[in-house]
Amino acid sequence: MKLILSSTGSYPRIGDSAELQLLRRTLAAADRGEKTAADLADAESAMTRRAIEEQVRAGLDVVTDGQIRWQDPISHLAGKLRGVKLNGLLRFLDTNTYFRQPVLTARPERTGALIADEFRFACNALGAIATPSGKAGRLAVKAVLTGPYTLARYSLAEGPAMSDLESRTEAYAAVLAAEIPALADSGAEMIQVDEPAILRHPRDWTLFARTFGMLAGARDAAKKKRARLELVLHVYFHDPTALYEKLLDLPADVLGLDFTYGSGLIEKVAAAGADKPLALGLVDARNTKIEDAAAVARQLERMLPKIAADRAYLAPSSGLEYLPRDRANAKLDLLGRVRAALDGRSLGAPEGPR
Amino acid sequence: MSRAKLEKLGLKLPLFPTTSVGSLPRPDYLVKARAEQKKGKLTAQQLTELEKQATAFWIAKQEELGIDVLVDGEQYRGDMVAYFAERWPGFTEGGLVRSYGNRYYHKPIITGEVRWPGDTTVEWWKYAQGLTKKPVKGMLTGPYTMMDWSFNEYYPDRRAACMALADVLRQEVQALVSAGCLIVQIDEPALSVRPEELPVALEAVEKVTRGLDAYFVTHACYGAFEQIYPKMLELEVDNFDLEMSNSDLGMLNVFRSHPFSKDISFGVVDVHSHVLEDVETVRERIRQALTILPKEQVWVDPDCGLKTRTVDQAIEKLRVCVEAARSFRN
Repeated sequence: MKLILSSTGSYPRIGDSAELQLLRRTLAAADRGEKTAADLADAESAMTRRAIEEQVRAGLDVVTDGQIRWQDPISHLAGKLRGVKLNGLLRFLDTNTYFRQPVLTARPERTGALIADEFRFACNALGAIATPSGKAGRLAVKAVLTGPYTLARYSLAEGPAMSDLESRTEAYAAVLAAEIPALADSGAEMIQVDEPAILRHPRDWTLFARTFGMLAGARDAAKKKRARLELVLHVYFHDPTALYEKLLDLPADVLGLDFTYGSGLIEKVAAAGADKPLALGLVDARNTKIEDAAAVARQLERMLPKIAADRAYLAPSSGLEYLPRDRANAKLDLLGRVRAALDGRSLGAPEGPR
Repeated sequence: MSRAKLEKLGLKLPLFPTTSVGSLPRPDYLVKARAEQKKGKLTAQQLTELEKQATAFWIAKQEELGIDVLVDGEQYRGDMVAYFAERWPGFTEGGLVRSYGNRYYHKPIITGEVRWPGDTTVEWWKYAQGLTKKPVKGMLTGPYTMMDWSFNEYYPDRRAACMALADVLRQEVQALVSAGCLIVQIDEPALSVRPEELPVALEAVEKVTRGLDAYFVTHACYGAFEQIYPKMLELEVDNFDLEMSNSDLGMLNVFRSHPFSKDISFGVVDVHSHVLEDVETVRERIRQALTILPKEQVWVDPDCGLKTRTVDQAIEKLRVCVEAARSFRN
């Protein structure tokens, strides 16, 4: 069993120092007409490189681009589609952060890459970083998409065509299914689909499962051209215990779980086991308190023997942009200390991605 | 029932009392002064004098508009949680966290036992009330929202943090009531974020208000109220102040499922739109409210605090509230 350290998605866009305020300052200057769109893209690129560097420095094996270019988890994707306009602000689930609500004026259509360009940039940025000792060939970039159900749940419709949740979810699923081969062609071997909304609306399970199946179908088709392409389903911001078995049955290659909303999930995983790799979100991405590494290691020890797979992932419970940058960094460091705490125990030493 | 409580407290309010939710925009001179004070170009005392000047402006303006229950406009407050966190032992200022777009705030961290250091809002309330004979609301952020919008490194869990904050807030409410405040608003915009935690919020607010001789209002906004209704009516307050217009009165459908048993401060103008509603639009919204709510229970106000609007827009939005409410009194 290999324990792989992974990012879950977002990373803080700014920090407290002047150097880390680059993106904030550039955005403000652009609003005043003093900076161009190109300046803004440069600032986003610089902070993306920085986010990747910090993840690598912290010892992660699987990194993301930090979703630095994303204004929020919804509008970054929906806003790029034809047939979608953006409305006012809404609170994103139980966070105190907000997103621009999409309004579907027609069936949404993909007119170009959604994040494939961003993914390629992240791969190049990772390639430009000096590889830490022992990590050669073992670092990977994961692409992250917000899933069709969550996008649809937080979208509105203008006119009858997209007025029901089912139509919206299916339309978004078709769009995202088209992005999967584009990501695969860009070199993606791991694509994470975030679906936090299903935990709050389990009555929509049938629709959710069917549309996730559309993404899995796109993965299967893309895999015919590539040897390695995995779909990660990640759910967070609510307790997934009641849905655990059903989530496991979905055609995802890896299931990512948030362990911070209830104490029963560890018991559940320890009792029911898993027939596929899990991404274990044991490190709280929503609170600044740094967990005790030994305590997290003990939680892992209860679950890892029950996971019938060659690997598992240790990750923050969700994206880290809900924390100040210094604490986000400390959470990443913690992942490494947890793995170190496991070293030498019966589960064996970690090795990194396959 | 709540109207009887108001009368018992000596408050003679007309039908469809008008009020506002809390914050009002700062005049330009105060925006500039706050920036200068941060740069050290203005003393704290000089800033306070300007904040008092702006408070007096808004009290006079609300009287002139004919509003029935006034607010001090929170000219001296920044973020609704940070204002208290900066003053209460047990909190530490956290690093920057994004709220939306390019807006960031220092999210407080609970790093020790939270304690009440003495009056936090009472002097400002006294100052504002001293400028008018109409009632001025005492304005506090509720324990559940204070907990949810802070990081917690000290208490063992969210419930424990929430209850500790409730104990502190109760002392502040007692101080306000002792000073003569008859209407206290306890804002809980986070009330619906985790429906499974509603019992925690109910218990905490009860801790804050139980047995105290005042009329209590709670403001909540931008939430999934359909998931906590009608259980939310068990909150131990007299009046729910709710944003209704931002959702095109969609919440009225929720209220049809079960009688709304409290008074309601019915948000009739959208605070996030610069579009100025006309009186007839607001009258229609009140008419819709009356399809399911008895007139004795209905107060009229904007959806939320007006601080995001310009001074002129805020005045106009308040003016249409008053004009529309008055037209229903006969």
